[in-house]
Amino acid sequence: MGISVSAKQSASAAALRQRQPRFEGLAAGHRACQGCGQALAARLVMEAAGPDVMIANATGCLEIFTTPWPQSAWRVPWIHSLFENAPAVASGMEAALKAKGQSSKVLAFGGDGSTFDIGFQALSGMIERDHNILYVCYDNEAYMNTGIQRSSSTPHSAATTTSPAGLKRMGKRHLKKDIISIVAAHHMPYAATASVAYPQDIRIKVRRAMEIEGPTFLLIHSPCPLGWKHEGSQSIEVGRLAVQTGLFPLIELERGELIGVMPLRQVLPVRRYLEIQGRFNHLFKDEVRAMEELAHLQALAAHNVEKYGLQSHGADPLDSEGADTVRRGGIMRG
Amino acid sequence: MLKLTRGAYALPETSLAFKTGDWRDQQHPRHYHYVAPCHNACPAGEDAQAYLAKVAENNPRAAWETLVAINPLPAIAGRICHHPCETACNRGAYDEPIAIHGVERYLGDQAIAEGWDYPLLEKPGPEVAEVAIIGAGPAGLSAAYHLLRLGYHPVVFDALNEPGGTLRTGIPPYRLPAEVTSAETERLLASGIEWMPNYRLGSRIHLDDLRQSYAAIILAPGTMKAREWSVGGVIPPGLHQGIELLKEWMDVGRVPNIESAAVVGGGNTAVDAARVLKRGGVKEVHIITHNGMPGSDADPSDVMRAIPREVEQAQEEGILIHSHRGVQRLIMHGNRVIGLEMVHMKKFPDARGRLVRKAFEGTETVMHIQQVFAATGQMVDQYGLEIILDGKSYFQTDYWGRMSSHSGIFVAGDAREDSIGMMSAAVGDGHRAAQAVHAFLQGSELSQPMARSVVEVDRLNLNYFEPFARARHPILPVEKRLGEEEIEGSLSGNQVHDESVRCFSCGNCMACDNCWTLCPDQAVLKTRELASDGSHYVFDYDFCKGCGLCAHECPTGFILMEDE
Repeated sequence: MGISVSAKQSASAAALRQRQPRFEGLAAGHRACQGCGQALAARLVMEAAGPDVMIANATGCLEIFTTPWPQSAWRVPWIHSLFENAPAVASGMEAALKAKGQSSKVLAFGGDGSTFDIGFQALSGMIERDHNILYVCYDNEAYMNTGIQRSSSTPHSAATTTSPAGLKRMGKRHLKKDIISIVAAHHMPYAATASVAYPQDIRIKVRRAMEIEGPTFLLIHSPCPLGWKHEGSQSIEVGRLAVQTGLFPLIELERGELIGVMPLRQVLPVRRYLEIQGRFNHLFKDEVRAMEELAHLQALAAHNVEKYGLQSHGADPLDSEGADTVRRGGIMRG
Repeated sequence: MLKLTRGAYALPETSLAFKTGDWRDQQHPRHYHYVAPCHNACPAGEDAQAYLAKVAENNPRAAWETLVAINPLPAIAGRICHHPCETACNRGAYDEPIAIHGVERYLGDQAIAEGWDYPLLEKPGPEVAEVAIIGAGPAGLSAAYHLLRLGYHPVVFDALNEPGGTLRTGIPPYRLPAEVTSAETERLLASGIEWMPNYRLGSRIHLDDLRQSYAAIILAPGTMKAREWSVGGVIPPGLHQGIELLKEWMDVGRVPNIESAAVVGGGNTAVDAARVLKRGGVKEVHIITHNGMPGSDADPSDVMRAIPREVEQAQEEGILIHSHRGVQRLIMHGNRVIGLEMVHMKKFPDARGRLVRKAFEGTETVMHIQQVFAATGQMVDQYGLEIILDGKSYFQTDYWGRMSSHSGIFVAGDAREDSIGMMSAAVGDGHRAAQAVHAFLQGSELSQPMARSVVEVDRLNLNYFEPFARARHPILPVEKRLGEEEIEGSLSGNQVHDESVRCFSCGNCMACDNCWTLCPDQAVLKTRELASDGSHYVFDYDFCKGCGLCAHECPTGFILMEDE
C-alpha cells in the first residue's frame, strides 16, 4: 500500500475506499438510519461470505434502504423478492445455477417480519427441499420500515405501535417466537444465532454456514434505534447487553442438536438491557404490574441460561467477555 | 447489460453517488489524542503509554529511547520513584494499575546491560555555549542531559567524587543499589557531559567566577542540611540527625550501639533512618509523626510524606509507627536521653484557614528510648550560596526555575521552594531549567504549558478489555532484610511484555479496528499512510451520518463527537 507524498495529497477518500482491506459487499450511501444495526450486520455477513454470492432479499428495511431506484448499494447480484417469498426465489436461483453448472452460493435475506411471519412457509419449504442456501434473518424484533408494528419476533412486553403500553397491557402480550428451534427442527445441517455486537462471532458462523452444502440458517440480533428507542450510538451496547443478560442466547444447532453456545462469564440483570430502550420504558414505572413484567423478563432470561447452559465455568476466550475484546490483557493474548 | 423489459434495475455501488454525510444534524466524530492519566501525573513528564506501546510491539530499545528522551535515569526512577503514574492509571479502576515502575526499571536495566547509547545526541562543537551545573543529583544530571540535547556544552560540578547526589547519600542500597546509581549516572555523563567531581561550591569554585566563565548557571544543590528541630524552642542536647545517620550507615555501615531509638518525622528520610537502625541491630525502633498513615481512605493532605510501599515494608520489618503524635519533651538523665513524652495531635484549620496542629491534653504518654533522631525536613546548605540565598532555606523560582532577581541563574530540584522532594520531580525540574537556559540564551520566550485534557476512565469502553492480574515483582522476605540487599526484584521480560499489553492506551489509538468494523455506513476508512493523527483510520464525512457508534465503542476514548 506504499504511495508517494504527492499521491497522498491527491488521494481522495473515494480512492481510499477502493483499497480497503476487506470485501464490502454492501457499499456506503445506503439510507439506513443513524446507528442501524441491520446495515452493520448485513455488511459483516457480506464481508465473511465474499464476492461469489447471489442474493434474494425479501421486502423490508434492508431492501428499502439499500436500493432506492436507480441506485443500489450492493456489489453482488441481488434481487428483490416479495415480502413472503425470498426463500422460494432463492430456491429457484439455486436450482438454475445448479442446472447451469455454476457454483456461486445463494443467500436469502429477510427481516423478522418476512422470516417469522409472512415468509415462514416458504422458508420451511426451502429447508425441506434441501436447497444449498444460507438464509440470514436480520432480527430487529418488529416491522420497522412500515412504522414499528409488532411481529411474532417482538419480545414480550415491548411496546410497538400495535402493541402499545397503556392501561390494559404492558406492551406485547405474547412471547417472542422461538424461531431457531422451529427451523432447527427441520433436521437441517446448521442453524445458529448471532449478534451484531459480536462481529467476530458472526464471521465465524457465516463461514461455517458457507462451507455446508445444504440449507443453513442464521438469526442475527440487530438493534434498531428507531423502533427500540435508543441512541444510534448505543446499538452495539444494546446488542451486547441482550447477550450478556441471557435474553438473546448465542447458540449453534446441527441436525436439531445444540452443539455450541457463547458462554456468559457474567450474567447481567435484564434491567441493564431494558432500561436503555424506550420500548421498555413502561416497565420502570412504580406499579406492581410493571414489577411483575420485569420479573417475568428476568425469569425468561434465567430460563434461557438454564436451558442452554449459558453460565460459563471459568473464563473462556470466546465467552461473552472474551469474544471481540481488543486483547489488552485477558486469557488469549499475543 | 441485458435490457430488462419488466421491473427496474440499478448498477452495483451506485449508492456511492448519494452522500449520506449531509444527514448529520449536529455532531461529527473526530480523533483527539487526549493525555493519558499516567502521563499527566508524572512530575518528570514521562509518557508511560508511549513506551508501553513500544514494549507491546516487542521493541524494548525503542521504548527505552522514548523514555530517556524525557527522563535519562529510568533504572533509578524505576526503583525509587513514588510512581504517581500508577496511582492515576485508569486500569486501577478496573482491576489493578499497570506496574509502570517495573517496566521503567526493566528498560533502564536492559539499556545498562546492553550498552544502548543515549539517543539523538549531537556532540557540541567548540563554539557552543557552556553552561555550569552545580550538583550531580537527578536534577543536575537531567538539566545537563537536556542541555546536551539542545546542543549546549554542560559542565557538572559536584562536591563529591561520584555522581548521584542524594541518590548516593540519602537513599539506602536496599532501595537503590549503589551499582545501579553508578552504572546509570556514569553512562549518562559519558554521553557528552563534562564532569567535574570534588568541586565544592564556596571552596574550589565560587558563584561569581562561574558567572564570568559560563553563559548560564543551573543550581541543583539539593537540600543537604537538616532542618533544625526543637522542642518548645529548645534544641535538646544529644539529638541526632536522620540524614547524618543515613550517610554514616552508607559510608561505613554503622549505627549507634543502642537498644532502642525513636525517629521523629514522617518523610522518606524518617522511614529510611528507622529501617537502617533496625538493620544495624537496634531492637526497638519507633517512628513518631504528626501525620496519618497512608491508605486509600486517608486525607492526602494529612498523610505521611513517605512513599506508602516504604511505610508498609518498614512495618513488615518491625518498625512501630505512632501516627498523629507529637513529641512534647525529651526526658533527660544528665546529658543523656532516656525517654520522651508523646501526645496525640491532629491538624485543624485556624482562623485564617491554615492547618495547624493541636495537641490533645490528657493523651500524654512516656516512651523509654535511648536516642532520638530528627528527620523533620531538610534545607539548602547555605555554604557558597549566601549571596543569592539571602538567608532563606530554599530558592524562590518560577515554573521554569528562573529567579526574578538573578538573571542567568536557574534552580532545579529539591532546592526549589515548591519542590515535592521526589526524584521524578527533580528530573522534571532539570528538564525545565534546561529549556529556560535555552530560551535565555536564544532571547526567546517560554510559554506556560496549557492545561491538558486527561482521559478519565468513563471515557473508555471497558467492554473491550479483560481482567488480567498485575505482574508481581519478587520481594525479599522480611527475615532476609538484614543488610544492603535490594528488597524489590526485577520483573522478567515476559512480565514486562504482559504489563505492556494490559495498558488501556487511554486517549490514543491502538489500531483495534473497532471503528472500522462497527460503522454501519462504511464511513471509517482504514489507512496507515493517510491518518496523520497517529491512528490508522480516517473519517469519510461524505458518508458519516453522525450516529456516534464509533465514539461509543472506541475502547481508548480516542474518538469524540464534536459539534460541527
